[in-house]
Amino acid sequence: MRQLGSDPIVTEKSPAYLVNALAQTIVGQREVLDGLLLALLCNGHVLLEGPPGLAKTLACRSLAAALEGEFKRIQFTPDLLPSDIVGTRVFDQREGAFATVLGPIFANVVLADEINRAPAKVQSALLEAMQERQVTIGPQTHSLPDPFVVMATMNPLDSEGTYALPVAQMDRFLMKVNVGYPSPAEELQILDRFAVADTQPVRAVASLDDVKRWRAGAHAVHIDEKLKHYIVDLVARTRGARGISLRSDRGHAVDAGDLIDYGASPRATLALANLARARAFMDGRDFALPDDVRAVAPHALRHRIGFNYRITTEAVTPERAIEALVADVAAP
Amino acid sequence: MIRGWFAIAAALAMVSVAFVSGGIGAQTLARLTVDSFILSTDTATPKLEIPFHLIVRVHVRERVDSIDNLVLPILAELELRGDQRVIRSSPSGTDYTETITVVAHHTGNIAIAPATLQAIDARDGRAKQYSSNGLTITVAGGALDPLAGAEGVARRVWHWAVTIAIWGGGIIVVVALAALIFHHRPVRVPAPAQSPEPPAQPALPVSQRTRRDQLSDALTVLRAERNRGSAVRVRAAVWRMIGASEGETLADVLQRPDATDPRMSALLRSLERAAFTYDDDLAPAIDDACASLEAILS
Repeated sequence: MRQLGSDPIVTEKSPAYLVNALAQTIVGQREVLDGLLLALLCNGHVLLEGPPGLAKTLACRSLAAALEGEFKRIQFTPDLLPSDIVGTRVFDQREGAFATVLGPIFANVVLADEINRAPAKVQSALLEAMQERQVTIGPQTHSLPDPFVVMATMNPLDSEGTYALPVAQMDRFLMKVNVGYPSPAEELQILDRFAVADTQPVRAVASLDDVKRWRAGAHAVHIDEKLKHYIVDLVARTRGARGISLRSDRGHAVDAGDLIDYGASPRATLALANLARARAFMDGRDFALPDDVRAVAPHALRHRIGFNYRITTEAVTPERAIEALVADVAAP
Repeated sequence: MIRGWFAIAAALAMVSVAFVSGGIGAQTLARLTVDSFILSTDTATPKLEIPFHLIVRVHVRERVDSIDNLVLPILAELELRGDQRVIRSSPSGTDYTETITVVAHHTGNIAIAPATLQAIDARDGRAKQYSSNGLTITVAGGALDPLAGAEGVARRVWHWAVTIAIWGGGIIVVVALAALIFHHRPVRVPAPAQSPEPPAQPALPVSQRTRRDQLSDALTVLRAERNRGSAVRVRAAVWRMIGASEGETLADVLQRPDATDPRMSALLRSLERAAFTYDDDLAPAIDDACASLEAILS
């Protein structure tokens, strides 16, 4: 085992090697790349929120290419139908029988672009497939490939004509990653890197079998009892946040309890534990630390906490509220 | 020799704690409603080399057979002489009293850290660590005091006579020297302005232990009791030593100026591993922590 706290040992066929390979194509966005890999290791799905043009599609496509996996992109629109996602049965005139045409969801990495542009019926079809990892078309049930990761994007700027994801469906995403703008230095690097070609292809550095092996390794990472209590305390604090004081942008103190309508569900508890395990595994450890839990907590909690209108009127960002919640619970 | 005694006392205290608590490594926290948790002594002024008692009292509302995960402070400056535990249940709950017999080998102030108790609070179902009050005791001269004993009065008279004679002689000599100096004093020239004297550094209290002493104690404890509970306690003690507060994570602690020394950061990392790794890796993790401590102490 490597020295705790030192840089991870990057060997071929390791998660760190995969992230480094992706970083050859995608400038910056380390949090997104780490998030995609964490979701892959946890067998979960990711919600990416950020303005257009921040390499969300490129990141997902590159991940699939790096794993020799199949990539599909679904652009969600108001007129999309469930059959456009999962597939349908069409009549084959030559055979004189119905044949099943599988939809774009049958891929290893699926990008559901602007998921909130489609109505609830379509969202439900996708989210049900995400949960069950199988779809039923007519009389037949089809298993989705393994690994199967959905990366759904939402654009926070353009909310006209969108359908907000219901709370129960949002909860099914393992994590939500906020995609931010690159720094000026990174933007200069983007200019240089993409001056020659639009995209630089990612070579395959691992296989789908490697992913399954990593997943088993991440699942076996030890979580100490003290850490389990810490995770439970963190999630419980989101349900009773009264007494946590934070400062609004206007400079006055606000009680976090006044900003939250409902806290995170037990799925958040499971997500925190799984993500902490996966982070430890990516770091080359076979045991998780409080630092792992603290690092993944915002990703696991931000889409599971119901903030009310006061978060806007009090000029507090959800990120700051979550930061205060996490800081309030003492690490073991 | 005295340091050896302290080390043995620390080790014995740890063994006692393990016996009482059943080891935090078991990690099974009881659901308790803790009403009071007090650390006290049976005497306000303990005497050198005369045994006295430290008493830990816990009252919980539940009726239980034992209080687990109770961690006593490391008594590095006191010699442990014995330990008695009494647990009584009544309709109002359970009273747990632990009486520890100790002896001080030096005079002055001795700080005793709070005892801690880990349990799930039955009121809200959350795991908590309760802390008792801490203590600072002042050890005075006891049986080894040259003025104590049967012939105390006679010796006291003799002592005062000698003291007065020494002081009287001293005063006469000082006055004679002063008269001599003033009588032959040369003409004074104005001295150049001098910067004010730096304030005198406060003297270190007798009981204040150096960082090296604390790390040495930690090594003794880890060698004597190679389990999760001692690893967690030593980790907490080292964190306190470098000024880290409860609730920080390793990443926070490694940012502290005191943790920038590679040997100290290696120690912090090895203790983190020992506190959180799986059971099969615990022994190598403790070996690693001991090696890190030895590297700092060498």
